[in-house]
Amino acid sequence: MRFNEKELISLSRQPSERAAELGMRGPKKGDVVKRRLVKLVVNFLFYFRTDEEEPQGALLLEQCRVEREDSLAFSITFLDEAERKYLFECDSQEQCQEWIDSIIKASYEFMRKNLIFYRTEIHRLTGKDPLEQYGIEDETRFQVTSGLQLMPKDI
Amino acid sequence: MKIHEKILTHYLSCTSPIDKEGYLYKKKERTSSYQRRWFVLKANLLFYQERPADRHLLGVIVLEGCAVQRCESEGGLFAFSMVFRGSGLKTYGLAAEDQLGQESWVKALLTASHCYLSLLVRDLGKQYEEAKRQAGPAESHQRTTVTGPGSMCLTQSMTYLNSCSSSFLMPGPERREGGSHSASNLLQAPPIPSKVINKRSPKHWPKRNAHVTPINGPAPPYGEWPQVDFDPLEDFTKLHDYYGEEVKQLRADWLMRRQEEEEHLEEDLIDLSEH
Repeated sequence: MRFNEKELISLSRQPSERAAELGMRGPKKGDVVKRRLVKLVVNFLFYFRTDEEEPQGALLLEQCRVEREDSLAFSITFLDEAERKYLFECDSQEQCQEWIDSIIKASYEFMRKNLIFYRTEIHRLTGKDPLEQYGIEDETRFQVTSGLQLMPKDI
Repeated sequence: MKIHEKILTHYLSCTSPIDKEGYLYKKKERTSSYQRRWFVLKANLLFYQERPADRHLLGVIVLEGCAVQRCESEGGLFAFSMVFRGSGLKTYGLAAEDQLGQESWVKALLTASHCYLSLLVRDLGKQYEEAKRQAGPAESHQRTTVTGPGSMCLTQSMTYLNSCSSSFLMPGPERREGGSHSASNLLQAPPIPSKVINKRSPKHWPKRNAHVTPINGPAPPYGEWPQVDFDPLEDFTKLHDYYGEEVKQLRADWLMRRQEEEEHLEEDLIDLSEH
């Protein structure tokens, strides 16, 4: 599958609030913990081999489960498959929790749900649809039904 | 760089909503010929394949840091392009069969980026706090906005804005006092980010689940809406009786400032002129 690699690499170079060297272990049996520069940009988690300009990989942070593993580690599971569980080791409990929170909040779907909540609430409290002022009230992605787990054809 | 295709394709096929789909013509690289492709827009990702029923995806375009603009009609098609900002970065040439298709795709793509949504959520969060305040104390108790890592959202927003800033055009550094309202003006297409303060979160250690909402404490009485906490003291420096009046005033200010900076802008994000 083709993707806009150069553009994604450029994205990975943007300054990030959440970037640190962590221990990272891949999902496969036999994978060991390796030091990687892990960087959160929009809803992607980039990871770099230390001192390399270009990221080794990019993980899309959607439809994934983030869990605390122990005092210093968290994991991200994709596709609900144990064989796609990545482990990350932090230097402190605080850092570990901050990473978990950041990753959860980075998800586009999480943000969409928040938006729909605010839109509904503001409309309920004020009688006005706050998206009208931006002219985006008809955009599919901001519709109230989008917050529910419906199949696309139901929308 | 490895992109972990399976994660992307899984996201595409899962139950979260598709934001737009349909046939578009895509310009083949380095030629000027078009190929008809089925496009699916979900979040900030634009997938394409030959036909809707195809299992095999041809490709995906991550929509961060690109400007979308209409182009001159080509061969009876209504063309538009996605221009990625940065040296050596691509421009994708796309076209719709009719003007309505062109307009709706351009609009959908303009509002697709993570950066844009982040700004929008932040702005609406503030409007929500304001609306609650104005509704009176009875309302404030009904919805328990929970403290905790909620203020992390501002931290996140700063990340997004920083990541946007090199791609988007910044109107000027003096955005702070405007708070949410300068953002609200900027959310009119084209979106241009403003600055926020970084805020550290208090420490917590509950177990969290990514796709089980909400994460910040007790669920609201209905639905599955998550709670996000914004500190109302963070960006609001003025309080006004009527939200609408303030927006009007700030719009006027912003328009004035924008005119001053016009010469510094390379181009509009939406280019409606024929070229």
